[in-house]
Amino acid sequence: MYTHNGEDVFVIDGHIHLWDATEENIVHEGGEQFIQCFYDYHTAFTPEEEQWDMDTYRQYGAERMIQDLFRDGYVDMGIFQPTYLTDFYDEGFNTTDQNAELAEEYPERFVLNGSFDPRDGDEGIAHLERLKDDYDIQGVKLYTAEWRGDSKGWRLDSEESFRFLEKCAELGIENIHAHKGPTIRPLNRDAFDVGDVDDAATSFPDLNFIVEHVGFPRVDDFCHIATQETNVYGGLAVAAPFAQNRPRKFAEMMGELLFWVGEDNLLFGSDYGIWEPDWLVPAVMNAELTQEERAEYGVELSPDVKRKIMGENAAQLYNIDIEEKKEQFRDDAISQEFELGDSYEEASAD
Amino acid sequence: MATTDPPDSPGSTNHSEIAHSSVTTDKSVDLDAIRDRLDHVHDPELDRSIVELQYVEAIEIDDGAVTVAFVLPTAWCSPAFAWMMATGIRDEVEVVSGVTSVTVRLSDHMHGDEITTGVNQRRSFDSVFEDAEDGIMAVQQKLDEKARFARQHSAIKALQQGGLDPDQIAPLTRADIELDFSSDLAAVTVQDGALTVTVARDPLAEYLNKARETGLVADESDRLFADREGEPLASDPESFESIVRDARLAAANIEGQGAICESLHESRNGVHFD
Repeated sequence: MYTHNGEDVFVIDGHIHLWDATEENIVHEGGEQFIQCFYDYHTAFTPEEEQWDMDTYRQYGAERMIQDLFRDGYVDMGIFQPTYLTDFYDEGFNTTDQNAELAEEYPERFVLNGSFDPRDGDEGIAHLERLKDDYDIQGVKLYTAEWRGDSKGWRLDSEESFRFLEKCAELGIENIHAHKGPTIRPLNRDAFDVGDVDDAATSFPDLNFIVEHVGFPRVDDFCHIATQETNVYGGLAVAAPFAQNRPRKFAEMMGELLFWVGEDNLLFGSDYGIWEPDWLVPAVMNAELTQEERAEYGVELSPDVKRKIMGENAAQLYNIDIEEKKEQFRDDAISQEFELGDSYEEASAD
Repeated sequence: MATTDPPDSPGSTNHSEIAHSSVTTDKSVDLDAIRDRLDHVHDPELDRSIVELQYVEAIEIDDGAVTVAFVLPTAWCSPAFAWMMATGIRDEVEVVSGVTSVTVRLSDHMHGDEITTGVNQRRSFDSVFEDAEDGIMAVQQKLDEKARFARQHSAIKALQQGGLDPDQIAPLTRADIELDFSSDLAAVTVQDGALTVTVARDPLAEYLNKARETGLVADESDRLFADREGEPLASDPESFESIVRDARLAAANIEGQGAICESLHESRNGVHFD
């Protein structure tokens, strides 16, 4: 657990991956380009002394992951966001079934999300039902801009998509994480469009729509939607590492996001293994708005606001009782393995 | 043929950003003139010059034949945006005195070959990328409109810093602004000529360039400022403020994306931004 000025901050990392980009798993040149592009993101925003070599980056493995998150990275819980990319990777890049290996070993520490693609039709519905049956998933990660055959992606507000969203509502899969932002082949004007979230969020008020990467490079369009819809949230992966190497840009971005989206609708995510929480969590927690920035945006990035962003908001979405979790983590497998139990003891009242 | 280090520019444009690119020239064409033209080519999404963004990798000049190689922050950058920059390079450089031909080369991009060949053969975007849904002009127009709106924020800030109120700013037309290119100031006339104030020139000049490109401000009588959709700015303080905030957000989006691209560019292509 992270401690900030003597106060506990329960960290739920809302965006983590366990991927396999080994050469043996790559079946299309897009797979190699994809991991190389990820690696550019890694080196672009990671302090030099924290950067990984490419071999480690291709497959860091479960053991390293739990160390990086829980032992070294102040993370209390993590939410797996799968990325299938089965056209590029033989066994998939980062599928729910792959993630499940770790999530089932430490179920108290992980939330395991699924995925769907409405172009899969009946088969896709069956897949979603299977994921619910097998893992009791509460959320899905979606890639609307993914190309498949002749299709250049799909829209969340399409008829086919609504069929899947209805299925999610029926199964109690409440959290819809939509990846907007860097796409495979953004040939078309609307490849980054976030407008489809608007109609979907209005039509499904009982579902929560978390726009990952706060819609970059369409943060403005995302903000317009989020300011109107209370069930639209922003995931901070990609924006968060600004805190490390471009702190004023980060402050400016947080000013805008807090103004438009609000402190209750923003979720921290490291995007692990693109970035590591051991340096990212402190960077975000130490971020401050100047007096001038507070006046400009009319918002605060106070410790209370940061606590919401770092964990409390995600806890609300995923029905996580933080106090109950702290009690559980005094003596769970991870705390035993890494001797973390003491950090979950209640501070003794002097 | 001689290889030279790029000389310091005597002109107003700061060319230090281009220093990393390799230059080969036989002096048949003025290198500075080429650089000045390249500075006019913008990344359409980031609304910044490709020179400032350090995309230009190499310039070769051989008896009037000019080759410009450029590289983008990722191999996945939008082919449509890459196409606009490649045609921009071609069209800007070929008007330089002494240039007999221009060859553009996009390196390390997943569609580098198609774009390089297509632009040099003067083919259309649609014929090279048959599966693209939108015409290149529609994409360009949309990005220009976003850039116009984002630039409006700095322009209005400059006017407010000059002491003007919303009800003075909202009705301004092109005729009310006089840009002084001998200084860094602009003169703004308000209240039917009753009052003239001076403000910082650059934010207004940069805004007006983009407002002209998008067609929002074509004539002297055209209103200067508009909301995101192009509707004229209202002067009541509340709606004025909400449009200023929206323009601030548009600018933050472009600048934020710019910061991501700069970092990726540094990481992948070894350039350095201050």
